[in-house]
Amino acid sequence: MIRRYWAQMRAVIRLEMKKTFLSRRGLWVYLIALAPVLMFAGHDLSMMRTREERRAIAAAHPVPAGALLAVQPGMTREEVTARLGQPNLDARQIRFAGGRVRRELLSYTDGQSRYVFGFADGQLQSITVRPEETLAQDRVIFATVFQFFYLRLAIFFGCVGIFTNLFRGELIEKSLHYYLLAPMRREVLLAGKYAAGLIAAAAIFTSSAALQLWLLSMPYDSSLPGREIAAYLGVAALACLGYGSVFLAAGLFFRNPLLPAAGVLVWESANPFLPSALKKISVIYYLQSLCPVAAPPDREINPLLALLISSSEPASTVFAVAGLFAVAAAVLVLAARRARLLEINYGTE
Amino acid sequence: MTPPPLEESLVRLENVSRFYGEVLGVNRVTLAIPPGITSLVGPNGSGKTTLMNLMTGLIRPTRGSVRVLGVAPEDPEKLFTLVGYSTQFDAFPRGLSGFQFIYSFLRLFGWPHAQCEQLAWRAIGRVRLNGAAHRKIAGYSKGMRQRIKLAQALAHDPRVLVLDEPLNGLDPLVRAETIALFRELAAEGRHVIVSSHVLHEVDLISDQVILLSNGYVVAEGKIQGVRSEIRDHPMQILIRCDRPAALAARVFELDSIVEARLHADGGGLLVKTRDAGRFYRLLNRIALEGIEIESVAPADDNVNSVYEYLIGGEEAGR
Repeated sequence: MIRRYWAQMRAVIRLEMKKTFLSRRGLWVYLIALAPVLMFAGHDLSMMRTREERRAIAAAHPVPAGALLAVQPGMTREEVTARLGQPNLDARQIRFAGGRVRRELLSYTDGQSRYVFGFADGQLQSITVRPEETLAQDRVIFATVFQFFYLRLAIFFGCVGIFTNLFRGELIEKSLHYYLLAPMRREVLLAGKYAAGLIAAAAIFTSSAALQLWLLSMPYDSSLPGREIAAYLGVAALACLGYGSVFLAAGLFFRNPLLPAAGVLVWESANPFLPSALKKISVIYYLQSLCPVAAPPDREINPLLALLISSSEPASTVFAVAGLFAVAAAVLVLAARRARLLEINYGTE
Repeated sequence: MTPPPLEESLVRLENVSRFYGEVLGVNRVTLAIPPGITSLVGPNGSGKTTLMNLMTGLIRPTRGSVRVLGVAPEDPEKLFTLVGYSTQFDAFPRGLSGFQFIYSFLRLFGWPHAQCEQLAWRAIGRVRLNGAAHRKIAGYSKGMRQRIKLAQALAHDPRVLVLDEPLNGLDPLVRAETIALFRELAAEGRHVIVSSHVLHEVDLISDQVILLSNGYVVAEGKIQGVRSEIRDHPMQILIRCDRPAALAARVFELDSIVEARLHADGGGLLVKTRDAGRFYRLLNRIALEGIEIESVAPADDNVNSVYEYLIGGEEAGR
């Protein structure tokens, strides 16, 4: 019996995979999955260009070792240029109504960091150091993009597109009855369709996350720890598991699954403001708990809203994974009950 | 070999009703359909598709029960090894060729590759689509799509075939081949339940008919049987003879004769009678009296006239 169920599930998966991976309608899923890849690729290009520029400048305008650090406020332009040589970027002037104040900026680089010295009336007043970006900084940027864009929007909407179509799409295309006319339990059909959606979504979104992580560490000599990479890929796959179950059910329960999707989006977005007990009835709570690097809080958030943010301890890894599986299983049980009662009445779809 | 128990050889509906909200689909339908070709006949909206969807569990009855060879439609694992259904929906999963379509859905039975491949080719052969099997269904003509749906319904060798308007869109040659296939399947002892609103077709193919109107079964049984059930509907008989006028004078001896009319070609008499049995006995006597009778044949013993009578000429003409 179990063997037959497996064989039937595999048959459903085979039928669904082609539709899910190669559907022209699903092209936008690839686009939102690839958006952060393009962003990190752009970042890498810009970073490498800057690095090359600085090295080229350092070669053309060599600065004696330690001399840049020896420059102190109050020094004159002449003293600075005597120590450091000619700058690679020089000067600008600003006029004030009350009199003429000369402001100048001199820029140097040691090939890695950029030093900008600001003079007013010939005296050094400010020193700005723009060091080369580090992997540690980029990890935080990645954590922010991953949690606020990738999980909450890209995977969320990708799952809306993939999973709601598994049943609803076939009802609209009037082809679901072929499945229902096979000697197969509806639960097996649901499990097969869910597995197909999960394989497709996980393949698309974990591949994209892997590419992003590779691009993130590409400009650096060191790379991210293996555990961190595995954690991000795992979180992406678990996001597909959690959101996938929710949107599969939405496709079965609602004629227009975009309405429940909007509701879920609002609920998930409101998660930081929910009381601790309610936070746990969401997918994002468990996903964020599993992220290896915490995303920094939004510094520009309205202070009133900041007051409403309820802090709660992130779930432990075991609890978070178990919680996600529990949420997905509960939703799938409901969906299976609905699938058992499903009737073919295309006229009303 | 012991024949199966009666219950396991019938498609049975017991007092089945189905409502779509306030709208009636079918009402209080009780049927016991034996093997052979059974036609569900009725105009659009009469409940044919609803009845077929009920038999195959695509919809559930609001009241009553359905059993197909003793199996309830709520048990798809058993039911769909016995039943194949070609629906009226002209839609297919996207991107599949004819062969892929049949093969992929046979795999849903849990059968191995080789078996599914063999069954798929056999079904495709039965509907004569071998040449087009590897073409995408999206490029098929309407007739080819009908045939591939039929192939899909019969690919797993079901004992009951439910076919919704299966002859729609077929050219005359393919139509004749398909009707021959139905006869072949029925001769193998299967149930072939077809729906149609083209009464001429029904006459050609059916062993039994079920006449539907506005969600009600208005008559059922063998065509001739249905006909004789309608006692007060005059039956029209054409008698070919040498002296039709003399015959006309004699037939009015019977009070059950409603009308007698000379045939347009002058070589026969059309008689309408409420009691065919008494008329045939009278005709035997007349024949002995010297009027030479060449042939006697029911002139309207077909579904069309029955249907027209039962539900009115307006609907039958649709």
